Amino acid sequence: MRHTLRFLLGHDLVELGEVDPTQTVLEWLRRDAHRWGTKEGCAEGDCGACSVVVVRPEGGRLRADAVNSCIQFVGTLDGAQLLTVEDLKGPDGRLHRVQQAMVDHHGSQCGFCTPGFVMALYAMDRRGEAVTYETAVDEIAGNLCRCTGYGPIVEAALAMRGTEGAGEHLSGREAEVMARLEALDDGQDLMVGKDGRTFHAPASLDALAMLYAGNPGAALVAGSTDVGLWVTKQDRPLDPVIWLGRVKELRRIEERTDAVVIGAGVSYTDAMAKLGEMYPEGGELIRRLASVQIRNTGTIGGNVANGSPIGDSPPFLIAADARVVLRYRGERREVAVEDFFISYGEQDRRPGELVEAIVLPRPKPTEHLACYKISKRFDQDISAVCGGFRVRVEKGVVKDARLAFGGMAGTPKRAKAAEAALVGRPWSEDAARDAAAAMEGDFRPLTDQRASAAYRMKVAQNLLVKFWYETHGEGGQIRLVGPRRVVHG
Amino acid sequence: MAELPLIGEGAPRIDGRLKVTGDARYAADFSVPNPAYAQLVTSTIARGRIVSLDASEAGKVPGVLKVYTHENAPKIEGVPFFGKGGQAYQGFRPLQGVEIKHEGQIIALVVAETLEAAREAAFRVKATYEPQTPAATFGDGGTETEVAAEISKQHTDPKTGDADAALKDAAHVVEAEYETATNHHNAMELYSTTAHWTGDHLTIYEPSQWVYGLRAGVAGELGIPQDKVRVLSPFTGGAFGSKGTVTARSALTAAAARALNRPVKLLVTRAQGYTTASYRAETKHRIRLGADGDGTFVGFVHEGFELTSRPDTFLVSGTESTVRMYGFKNVRTKVSAVRADRNTPGFMRSPAEVPYMFALESAVDELAWKIGMDPIELRLKNDTKTDPITGKPFTTRQVRACFERAKELFGWDRRVAKVGAMRADGELVGYGAALACYPTQLAPAAVRLTLEGKGRARVQIAAHDIGTGTYTVLAQAAAGLLGVALDRVEVELGDTNLPAGPISGGSVATASSVSAIMKAAEAIRLRLATAATTSNDGPLAGKDKESVVLKDGRLVAEDGTGEDLTDAFKRLGVGTVEEYAEWLPDGVDEKAMRGLYNGSVKIVGGPMQDRTQFSFGAELVEVRVNPRTLSIRVPRMVGVFASGRIMNRMTAGSQVLGGMVWGVGSALHEQTEIDRRYARYVNDNIAEYLVPVNADIVHQEIEFLEEDDGEVNLAGVKGLGELGNVGTNAAVANAVYHATGFRARKIPIRIEDVLKSHLV
Ligand SMILES: Cc1cc2nc3c(=O)[nH]c(=O)nc-3n(C[C@H](O)[C@H](O)[C@H](O)COP(=O)(O)OP(=O)(O)OC[C@H]3O[C@@H](n4cnc5c(N)ncnc54)[C@H](O)[C@@H]3O)c2cc1C
Ligand code: FES
Ligand code: FES
Repeated sequence: MRHTLRFLLGHDLVELGEVDPTQTVLEWLRRDAHRWGTKEGCAEGDCGACSVVVVRPEGGRLRADAVNSCIQFVGTLDGAQLLTVEDLKGPDGRLHRVQQAMVDHHGSQCGFCTPGFVMALYAMDRRGEAVTYETAVDEIAGNLCRCTGYGPIVEAALAMRGTEGAGEHLSGREAEVMARLEALDDGQDLMVGKDGRTFHAPASLDALAMLYAGNPGAALVAGSTDVGLWVTKQDRPLDPVIWLGRVKELRRIEERTDAVVIGAGVSYTDAMAKLGEMYPEGGELIRRLASVQIRNTGTIGGNVANGSPIGDSPPFLIAADARVVLRYRGERREVAVEDFFISYGEQDRRPGELVEAIVLPRPKPTEHLACYKISKRFDQDISAVCGGFRVRVEKGVVKDARLAFGGMAGTPKRAKAAEAALVGRPWSEDAARDAAAAMEGDFRPLTDQRASAAYRMKVAQNLLVKFWYETHGEGGQIRLVGPRRVVHG
Repeated sequence: MAELPLIGEGAPRIDGRLKVTGDARYAADFSVPNPAYAQLVTSTIARGRIVSLDASEAGKVPGVLKVYTHENAPKIEGVPFFGKGGQAYQGFRPLQGVEIKHEGQIIALVVAETLEAAREAAFRVKATYEPQTPAATFGDGGTETEVAAEISKQHTDPKTGDADAALKDAAHVVEAEYETATNHHNAMELYSTTAHWTGDHLTIYEPSQWVYGLRAGVAGELGIPQDKVRVLSPFTGGAFGSKGTVTARSALTAAAARALNRPVKLLVTRAQGYTTASYRAETKHRIRLGADGDGTFVGFVHEGFELTSRPDTFLVSGTESTVRMYGFKNVRTKVSAVRADRNTPGFMRSPAEVPYMFALESAVDELAWKIGMDPIELRLKNDTKTDPITGKPFTTRQVRACFERAKELFGWDRRVAKVGAMRADGELVGYGAALACYPTQLAPAAVRLTLEGKGRARVQIAAHDIGTGTYTVLAQAAAGLLGVALDRVEVELGDTNLPAGPISGGSVATASSVSAIMKAAEAIRLRLATAATTSNDGPLAGKDKESVVLKDGRLVAEDGTGEDLTDAFKRLGVGTVEEYAEWLPDGVDEKAMRGLYNGSVKIVGGPMQDRTQFSFGAELVEVRVNPRTLSIRVPRMVGVFASGRIMNRMTAGSQVLGGMVWGVGSALHEQTEIDRRYARYVNDNIAEYLVPVNADIVHQEIEFLEEDDGEVNLAGVKGLGELGNVGTNAAVANAVYHATGFRARKIPIRIEDVLKSHLV
């Protein structure tokens, strides 16, 4: 067991013996490290002003992700390199090309959002992939700016590659950073704390399972994109905190012939590619889930485990007939995702039991699967209604239907009456409309600020009809996603 | 006096480097020795009384220093409400008694060694209340409606002719009600206060658009002399009107710091900011607009209803602008205040024009359809050169030129004058237009300007850069007037140790500050020129001192003869010349300068004694509406503006671009939702309060027309910060009508409402 948290801040080693388990990276930076450049605009992961870049070794190279420092606890930095806006300019004071492009294109007005944009763009620049209008806009969807109207920032993003600037002081030292980070990865379980409260980061699945079983009241943290908000928004004291980010077994995606097993610690970003390959619709759904920063840490495991009725992945997972692998000490069991959700706030998971993985079956040729997210704003918004549908059509007749919804009940739930109205009938517009009508018997949605009950019902019904249209080749006209240049919630 | 030479018209911000490196210091970034951290606790009811407030559990959290409640809070003297000439955001002071006036009212302030401990303690403060049923908004039982002219001395309802009679005989009349939603500024930077005492001297770091006002307010509330307080806000992370008045937290934090004998830092959460500071209140409008057969307006009635709090009458009274937009012959207006159990609203970017122009510019569009006229043509037909209420001329008014250029850029000619008749890529297309305006206002300003013989200059003024580019523009003005390079000018802002600058509000800051700089620069020029021309030797000896100017690091006469600055300074026998200047706008007396230093605002503009001054613009918008889902997108916007002298096309451009994005937000996204049962804001965060994001904005094109308006001020500068987001909301709504036949009289436009119309 190690009792010191260790990470690199820029190129300096930081070792902390005393760590408040819920102190955020942002707080630590601003208060303890005296790095004021990183800003707080919401403390809820919504605005991106607090974006920093976290670098970790992966598969023999360094991987750099922009994350929201406002909802990450300091303990989650263990074994990583943390880069903030202060690290980007060269030792000679020359601006990094990302910074220079922002100055040249006037991407900053009041400037408060600027460090966050700079870091989000730096992560993108560093990954080396092509910067197009579409990829740039996706990349900064989680950064809000109230002044510029974004145009100048997007221009800066498009121009950054061609801009002269510093960078060697970072890129030239990657091998060194790699070696130092690998040396920090000692395979020991970590426990740090302050005033009697503790933060744990076990290094293996077995250690995690035992620790959690022994502390069923602990706050289990995966990507912290829900848990972080319990602290910053609700002021909730959490103790102990158990972070599963160091458990390598949970970060694996395992390919089986009939299914893919996604570990509970796999980030959305990593899951997105695999999912998109198997289920393009699922991949697109995740692209619209929150922002790059949130997807870089948030997990599907957390999205299922939190039991939220408006999580985006459950309807898709239910439609695809996915299963949850649960783990208590040495015991494993599997339940269908749809059975995992019992009622609002209650899941089929006993105290001390953790979600280990999600098993996602591979699609079959006779199946159509689609996902729909209805939110007020296209990007970076919580669903009012989210639908995941799968129908199996053989010789024109519906053999099987799984129509799952979020936002329609206290849990993510299938529309059983609507499904019954479909199965056995030819896959026709009439059948889709009848099934939509039958849905009235399935749900009694709530009215809240996201949508009225009547609107939710209407949308849910229409989505089914839309699904039918799309499976008949009318996708282009009724999809908002189409050309990314003209999207609007 | 010398003219203002334009230099660095397209210069990038001089503070750009500080901003991209994280080196720009915002208020919450200042370090103070050994700070304690504070957290607010706010009420969960909107109306009633606190029965008990139990802080015992909170007090036990390790690291907690003190929990202030109404029982032990420091005494805070009230300073007058801003609307009554004071500095306070609201007249009511929380923590001074058991009464609850609105949801989210401050009921406790926790101070602890760390933020984590303060948070946990805040979580453990338990309040019990004796609640009463609150009135949340228009139409709720318990709201009280009062006529503005009867309750407010400052308010008069502009009027001319007999509108009601004229409307009776009008050939075409539009009679409609419009509504705009509650909006919150949501500047990216959160509200914060850091208070640090050294002896009896207090330093406050707080994001502000009016440091002198904050100083006066906090001093007044603590009962200490103003000169014992210094306020610093060198960079402000967006404000939009929200950081111009003094909220309750500032003096409370300062009082806590005094009592605990240690600096205190308070960061207000995003949600708490919704209720402990101001916002744009919801409004309603009753409009009657009539025209005769050929489209000439004959009568206009505008009645506005604005929501306000119980203790304070805050009104924006936008009829002062709407009645001046066209050549109305007969006008009647009336503004009413509707009181509910809410926190007090306040200024938000174009406070009056955003809601009131939405109503007018929608009604004009409705009338155009009724008459069967092109909506731009109808606007131009009713253009005027004189203010219809006062009969005085507009200084400049390029409404026609703005629209004509905007039409060209937009391709308005392609418009098919029929509802639902235009399509592209399977979607309905609509074009919409609206007039943008903002009164040109000015305020007193004082500045200290320094020129060194070595060619360096410094501008010192307690003005603010809230994203507006003030650092850059003031540097440009000084560089141009003193004849030095832009990168040789240093600008200091946002500090009450500097000469008093204007409030950054009402778009007065640039014009007023530049006017003061011109005055100071003239004094510097005159000193150097006098010495050089009256001397016995030197190239300028005997020349007319009025003809000598500072240019390119030299003192030169018209014929080009001259000498280097170093020589000119040698002649004076000094290395540095410093001039302090006070500038007062037309029609403002000397007392206003003392007022400025004491934190009282004097803003003049719009209609004046002998003239009326406004900026104008034309905004054209294309919307695309999906015929099946009815989702609305804005792929294209064009804005052409005439706003006097443009000091810097880059900073000016970004002001109006950003403004138009705000306009789209106003039309399609932004609404603070209220749970009417509890008079509570529901979406008090930026996940659910929808501000437009990247993907919502596609193509924007803007242009500024040349405009030489020597009457408004010496510099010919008009304000820009608030022009861009006026009218955009109406332009979007008008375009939606063109595309779908659905008339959005309420914004933001909801798909549900479009659906209900059964038109598409
Ligand atoms: C700005 C923002 C935008 C968001 N947008 C969306 C959105 O569009 N759609 C959406 O669905 N969600 C959204 N979310 C919510 C959140 O990102 C998701 O719910 C996410 O999947 C949670 O995963 P996580 O790894 O961050 O979970 P954490 O926050 O770490 O944990 C969430 C919950 O799951 C538990 N948990 C985590 N891992 C396990 C495990 N292995 N076993 C047992 N319990 C576990 C935790 O104890 C906690 O109760 C958003 C959040 C933010 C902050
Ligand atoms: S502060 Fe807004 S996302 Fe972190
Ligand atoms: S520049 Fe002000 S929020 Fe982006």
